[in-house]
Amino acid sequence: MKPTQFDYHAPSTINEAALILAERGENAKVLAGGQSLIPMLALRLAVFEDLVDIGRIGELKGIERRNGSLWVGAGTTETAVGASAEVASAVPLLARATPLIGHFQIRNRGTLGGSIAHADPAAEYPAVALALDATMEAVSSRGPRSIAARDFFDGVWSTSLMPDELLAGVSFPVWAGRCGFAVEEFTRRHGDFAIAGAALGVELDGDDRILRCAIGLIGLGSTPERAVRAEAALVGQLVNDMDPEEVGRLAVANLESVPYDLHGSSEYRKQVGGVMVARAWVAASTEARRA
Amino acid sequence: MTDLAKGGATRYTGARVSRVEDARLLTGRGVFVDDISLPGMLHACFVRSPFPRAAIRGIDTSAALALPGVHAVFTAADINRDVKEQWHSSLGPEGPETPRPPLAEDEVRFAGDPVALVVAESRYIAEDAADLVDVDYEPLPAVVDYMSAEQDTAPLVHAGHGSNLIGAMGGLPASALEDVFASAAHVVGETIEQQAYAAVPMEGRGLVVDYSATTGELTIYAGTQSPHEVRMFCSRLLGMPEHLIRVVMRDTGGGFGQKIMVQRDEMCLMLVARKVAAPVKWIEDRRENLLAAGQSRHEQAAVKMAFDADGLIQAVQIDFVSDCGAYPTPWPVGTASVVGAMFPGPYRVPRASFTTKAIYTNTVGRTPYRGPWQFESVAREVLLDIAARRMEIDPAELRRRNLLRHDELPYTNANGMVFDNISPLETLEQALDMLDYEGFRRDQALARQAGRYLGVGMSTYVEPSTPGFGYYATEAATIRIEPSGKVNVYIAGGSTGNSIETTVVQLTADALGVDIEDVHTVQGDTALTGFGAGAAGSRSGSMTAGAIRETATILRERIAAIVAHKFEAAVEDIEMAGSRASVRGTPSISMTLQEVARVAYFEPHSLPPGLQAGLEASARYTTKPGSIWVNASHLCTCEVDVTTGRVELLRYIVSEDCGPMINPNVVEGQIAGGAVQGIGGALYEHLAWDEDGNPLTTTFMDYLLPTAADIPLIEYGHVETPSPGPGGYKGVGEGGAIGAPPAVINAVADALAPLGVTVTRLPVSPFGIMSLLGEKPR
Amino acid sequence: MRDAAVELTVNGVVRKGTIESRMTLADFLREVCRLTGTHLGCEHGVCGACTVLVDGEAVRSCLVFAVQVEGAEVTTIEGIASPDGSLSTVQEAFRDCHGLQCGFCTPGFIVSVTAFLRDHPDPTDVEIREALSGNLCRCTGYQGIVKAVRQAAAVGLADD
Repeated sequence: MKPTQFDYHAPSTINEAALILAERGENAKVLAGGQSLIPMLALRLAVFEDLVDIGRIGELKGIERRNGSLWVGAGTTETAVGASAEVASAVPLLARATPLIGHFQIRNRGTLGGSIAHADPAAEYPAVALALDATMEAVSSRGPRSIAARDFFDGVWSTSLMPDELLAGVSFPVWAGRCGFAVEEFTRRHGDFAIAGAALGVELDGDDRILRCAIGLIGLGSTPERAVRAEAALVGQLVNDMDPEEVGRLAVANLESVPYDLHGSSEYRKQVGGVMVARAWVAASTEARRA
Repeated sequence: MTDLAKGGATRYTGARVSRVEDARLLTGRGVFVDDISLPGMLHACFVRSPFPRAAIRGIDTSAALALPGVHAVFTAADINRDVKEQWHSSLGPEGPETPRPPLAEDEVRFAGDPVALVVAESRYIAEDAADLVDVDYEPLPAVVDYMSAEQDTAPLVHAGHGSNLIGAMGGLPASALEDVFASAAHVVGETIEQQAYAAVPMEGRGLVVDYSATTGELTIYAGTQSPHEVRMFCSRLLGMPEHLIRVVMRDTGGGFGQKIMVQRDEMCLMLVARKVAAPVKWIEDRRENLLAAGQSRHEQAAVKMAFDADGLIQAVQIDFVSDCGAYPTPWPVGTASVVGAMFPGPYRVPRASFTTKAIYTNTVGRTPYRGPWQFESVAREVLLDIAARRMEIDPAELRRRNLLRHDELPYTNANGMVFDNISPLETLEQALDMLDYEGFRRDQALARQAGRYLGVGMSTYVEPSTPGFGYYATEAATIRIEPSGKVNVYIAGGSTGNSIETTVVQLTADALGVDIEDVHTVQGDTALTGFGAGAAGSRSGSMTAGAIRETATILRERIAAIVAHKFEAAVEDIEMAGSRASVRGTPSISMTLQEVARVAYFEPHSLPPGLQAGLEASARYTTKPGSIWVNASHLCTCEVDVTTGRVELLRYIVSEDCGPMINPNVVEGQIAGGAVQGIGGALYEHLAWDEDGNPLTTTFMDYLLPTAADIPLIEYGHVETPSPGPGGYKGVGEGGAIGAPPAVINAVADALAPLGVTVTRLPVSPFGIMSLLGEKPR
Repeated sequence: MRDAAVELTVNGVVRKGTIESRMTLADFLREVCRLTGTHLGCEHGVCGACTVLVDGEAVRSCLVFAVQVEGAEVTTIEGIASPDGSLSTVQEAFRDCHGLQCGFCTPGFIVSVTAFLRDHPDPTDVEIREALSGNLCRCTGYQGIVKAVRQAAAVGLADD
């Protein structure tokens, strides 16, 4: 299973990469970790004339606090994200999602930017980004562009990035206060894509009332989803008043384009999704209460 | 018969000897077929049909040929007519067979059907060229559902056959047992369906063909379980003298039955060998392996058992249907009938009836896979548990009442099979004891009160090993004690992970009485080894033991004669141990094997009169007709999460009786490997097509193999009933894949029993479980 | 560029080649360097038979183009044993525990386990099984492999 031929470019700066993308347009594809792209090339499900390898661009790697958010360079490997003390303390949801991504060999090459730009609805990072209302920072020869997570994912493996744009980094808002976070997903085997999952964050006030809750759904649509109705129902309630199963049911109740395949019907996925939300709710709310 | 040769020591046999294969395999120095690189070698790639059934209106190869680096593009018109004879040695030239055009002619019959063969400088270029071959297909309606393939409205997979029924065989008709069923205290019947899954070795198929026009010799490097079969098949296919063909197999990455027989893809490579003035390599990639290497296990049966008031089986009935795809290899009607004949299993079953059918469909052809008839155990053991629940008898107790006891052997089953030297009841008892079955039932009850669903499942089976018919019934060994006293033993081989090299070295060291470090083996090369059927049918342990025993006996007699002559002792008083021959009772009077060899090779005139010089011998062992029966019990506990359908396996216990063990590591490894394949088949693996016959599982992202995180510790118990064969050994390679699926299914069914579900369809996926729970009557 | 000149250090030896950009690291190792110990079991990143170390990290060499790792240090199965041929702790453990049968998946496991134990010298059983879940084996049922990792970890700790 060998890929088709392509012209290979290895720019060393963002500007160089942007220029190549501007020149080659739709014929070109950004190559980050390659863990999602290369299998597609090997299976000849995707064909590109040009691959732009961003792996040598130092400006794309790094993790740092910027203006109350945590910026993660698109070229930062998943292993680096998972090992970062900064990520663990500033964006626990990202830290907890990371060990669920594939296997450690994949995480050594796969990048945060690559995972988000690949936009697989059953992947973990897109759901985390959506749950946290992250901001995607795109760059092209026309300049930088910030895209809110809710405007970023527009279909299976499809984002609002223009063909000449490169995802340079993602800024994750940092939650403060009495917070709890959990990622729960149901997979056939350890490391598989989720059949259904939830990335959940909750913040309580001093009286145990829910100040905010963010529920990102994995594998339950053509993009990651926010369970907005469930979130709205939670705000203002006392944390102990919430029945986890009810939270789960609400979170999946109105989902419309839930995928189906050999491994499960849409109904099954919804049902399991509800269970995952319930479990994530229990874990996150427990952590928040103890904070 | 437990000793291998006169005065044979058993220093190594029975011990956990380290494998001789490991040194090269651990350091990346194995030689698998894709590791072969010959000067000027070219690479092949197939163009395969995307349609399950279509007429081929035309093939335009011009664009492909124009691509730089492409040497040739072959179609059926180029190579098919060169076929002289095409038949597999185990079946013979006269038997019925599915017509197998090497490349598809006017019709493609499954998605993945090879249509053209590209030969180019690299596999990369060959794939580029394959994309440029323009095949004009006219899609035709396909028959995909094997259960409706016999209807008049179904298209014919092979028009020339006149029907999609490949063949049917049966035993006693059901009508003969109507009375028994009508008057039985309990009758339990279900339809049990198994999904298609496959052997999926980690290394796909592949071969390198290297023809020399100068010498007229063809050398084939192959991944195969039987180098000699590849040679014979090729010789007949091409009309080339067998002695000009050499097949070499050094290391093969798993076979499990898929690499026993030559299939159409390999035939194509053999046919182009003389048309391309360079060696040609074809390596099957994973997508091809899942698409075209063969399917197995896709079958179902309506099964019924009659019990008396005490739960004793009065009669069993099975009506079995098997999906064999478009190009089954080999003719599958006989294998299907084994399912019927074996269905009663190791139980006391007075009457049995069966019908079996094999069906063509427009899907990939059926190929052998570890215990190809295992459905008989799946169906029987699952039905027994269902019956136990309905009759409110504990499943272990039901088996205790019906399993054959030692004092009943030999036992002729209702279909005429004679079982002997087995211990089904003993293995079940040992497994139950290892689990602490009563303790588990108590834990299960407590867990149920807490809303958790634990289950225990068991299976007991008997299987035929070491087939004693046709070319499987003999095995040869050549042993050369070299002039230096070191030993080389040559065996046909065909090991694809079965440790035959280690087995043979252990057996030889003991048979001759030499240190194991002094023994080396050569296998897998038809130019160097005697003819052998290869590694199939769990035959290698017993057959190599027999061959080595016969050959070693000749050499021990010669060694004894030489030593006795030198020391003026009696031949009967000469013993061999630790590479040294000595006179019994006077260990100081001895010769090293090196010294004996010196005499044998360099001092021929000092030998006793009439004794042959040298220390080289060959002999061929013949096993008795019939089979060597092997049995085991599998016992599995699990927990089912009824909110998601996830199954977690807790404990997995196998009590097996393979007779004396040559190497316990190897025995346990074979059991574990087979059991995990069986667990995979029960829970994860599914070779699937949509209703139009389009394959859905052509990568490892969709076809799910179990990983280390999905498999529990496997615990082994051993019961030892020697067989009548050499060393008392029995085969052990296939059993794990037979016993595991029913044990796992039964464990899940037992866990879910309080919820009123019956499990009769495989695989038991989380989705499948939740569907059952959703469907249950309230 | 369709073609590229590539230079890597493989098992301590500098290797060069002019190759198509689309050539995977796995194929570069097997065909250009003639190091055939790294095996291709799926070519889409699931089975792990092709695992090598790139700058010390375990990666699937079928999911890396050789040009991407220009200048890197690569360790393959052939570089795991000592120059004098003595097996590493991990290799010995696999041999002692019957952790291989056909040997096709073995190089990928050995390399993965070598990296894993280096970074997690005292793993729990669950951690071992999860770490192994990225490598598929069809012969052993994983029994001997899990035992081998436990033995290698124990030996490694004892040596420290």
